Amino acid sequence: MPDTRAPATPGPEEDVVDLLLAQHAQVEQLFLLVIGSTGDTRRDAFDDLVKLLAAHETAEEEIIHPLSRGLPGGGGDAMVDDRLEEERQAKETLRTLIAGGVDADGFETGVILLRDAVLTHARYEERYEFPQLRQHVPAERLRSLATAVRAAEKTAPTRPHPSTQSATGNLAAGPALAVIDRLRDAVRRPADS
Amino acid sequence: MFNPLDHKGIPLESQIRNWRELNVEPIGPEAVDPYTRCRIITMNGIEVEAINFQHQFARNCPDQEVRRQLAYVRYVESQQQRVVNWLLPGVASVLETTLGYEQVAVDLTAWVARHEPDPYLKQAYEFGVLEDFDHLYRYANLYEMVERRKAEKIVNGLTEVMPGRPTIVEHRHPFDEVRTPYDRDSVDPRSKLHALTILSAEQQVMFYYMNVGPQYMEPIARQLYQEISLIEQEHVTHYESLLDPGENWWERLLTHEYNECWLYYSFLQQESDPRIKAVWELHLQMELAHLQQAADLLRRHDGREPEEIVGSAGLPEPLTFEPNKDYLRHLLATQIDLNKLGEGYVREAHERFEWMQQQLHDGQKPPSEQVIDLHRERFGDEYRIETEGPHPVESLRPRGGSHA
Repeated sequence: MPDTRAPATPGPEEDVVDLLLAQHAQVEQLFLLVIGSTGDTRRDAFDDLVKLLAAHETAEEEIIHPLSRGLPGGGGDAMVDDRLEEERQAKETLRTLIAGGVDADGFETGVILLRDAVLTHARYEERYEFPQLRQHVPAERLRSLATAVRAAEKTAPTRPHPSTQSATGNLAAGPALAVIDRLRDAVRRPADS
Repeated sequence: MFNPLDHKGIPLESQIRNWRELNVEPIGPEAVDPYTRCRIITMNGIEVEAINFQHQFARNCPDQEVRRQLAYVRYVESQQQRVVNWLLPGVASVLETTLGYEQVAVDLTAWVARHEPDPYLKQAYEFGVLEDFDHLYRYANLYEMVERRKAEKIVNGLTEVMPGRPTIVEHRHPFDEVRTPYDRDSVDPRSKLHALTILSAEQQVMFYYMNVGPQYMEPIARQLYQEISLIEQEHVTHYESLLDPGENWWERLLTHEYNECWLYYSFLQQESDPRIKAVWELHLQMELAHLQQAADLLRRHDGREPEEIVGSAGLPEPLTFEPNKDYLRHLLATQIDLNKLGEGYVREAHERFEWMQQQLHDGQKPPSEQVIDLHRERFGDEYRIETEGPHPVESLRPRGGSHA
């Protein structure tokens, strides 16, 4: 079974880009696990994936993309619009997959399509967006945002109740949304102050 | 065995490809057979050497008609290189491709070392492979730091990741990189192909690192690429000096084309991805015609038959990408402390070696050491994949644990 723990023990130097990179790596691992497994393992892995994607995309939409829009040199808006459109499409696919559940016909094909879209999206961010942030946003700001994101994620439930029939449905409606709300609260506060 | 000299291949005038044919679909970004990636990287290096060699030949050739023939085949080889290298996916990062390059350097060189009939040449490959093995480990640690991902994603259990001959001691005086060449008349034809193949692969590694290194923003990444690209340059010196400088341009051209036939034929036998297999098949058919042209040039301008250069037995055993874990562990256990002096191998740190080390390191730790220190600092340990037990060299076992 692949190791899906956060690869990095967060050190004092970790910034929000490090954190998002680690999440990209976890997303890759979870996709591998979902595609390579069946039954309860697949269901659990998919639940974890949905939850991670919800938290991760929220952090990007709330923190990263707004920061990128204001970067010097222009072009930030167009780049962010492209990323947001990719995220919107991925969410649509994800919604369909959640609605059908892991046993639905076409889940396998759908999840592979979703993986390719999500990983390409992640690479665009890593190649064109994150380096700009590291170059233009003060390091201290990036580090404090990492702390904010981590704190918000910690207060959310770590795992849905196992073996209930609608674990995935619960997750999509419940804990994942809770993560999103907490993230929004947490990141808006330090950013606004 | 398949003898490429007996085949005509695709007529040269039918070998120019259009945009649609050049626009190949890359391999998937995830869950790919690592050795498919390795075969692509190898053939890219081979095609790059083909192009560069023919440019050098053209610059040294006064015959306008020959220059035109070389220009045509060189254009075709260029299209082959574009097709092969463009099979790599755009979503792969530079470091992921780098890990692929090092996996090639390890498993390709190890296979060649195992199959090399000449003991002096075999020693040259055994010596070199332990150094690339170390580079894989250094880059794997960089990869986790910079991209937060694990090299296991790339090597997928086929190649171990742990220290080889430490990069810090790979920096030798350039005089000691120069080896004794084989003798073109008495050497086994297989040895010519081995030397050209490893030379081409290492040369491509050097080109790649020396060009992509500055694209990184992270200081440790920039520095590590700088350091290892300098070692790769030394490797090119090491391997190219094995080739007989007395080989003339005509026979070198023939050997190049014959080698391309051997490698495309080899990879055709083992390719797991049917779409990539079709590329190897097509390129083999193209190379057969290039070989015919090289054979004609050899007969006309050098008065020799191709069999005098590459033998008449047909292709040697197909080169195969496969795990070499036991073999590498054996080399680690027996040759880790080997050094080079003159054209031979020694175990002591001799004066010229110490002089070079002093000039370069000047009391500082090189990037290849810093990258491990930094990884320990940030992650609490170093990144390794030791699937077959602890490191065979006790002094190279991790201080305070590792994770994979």
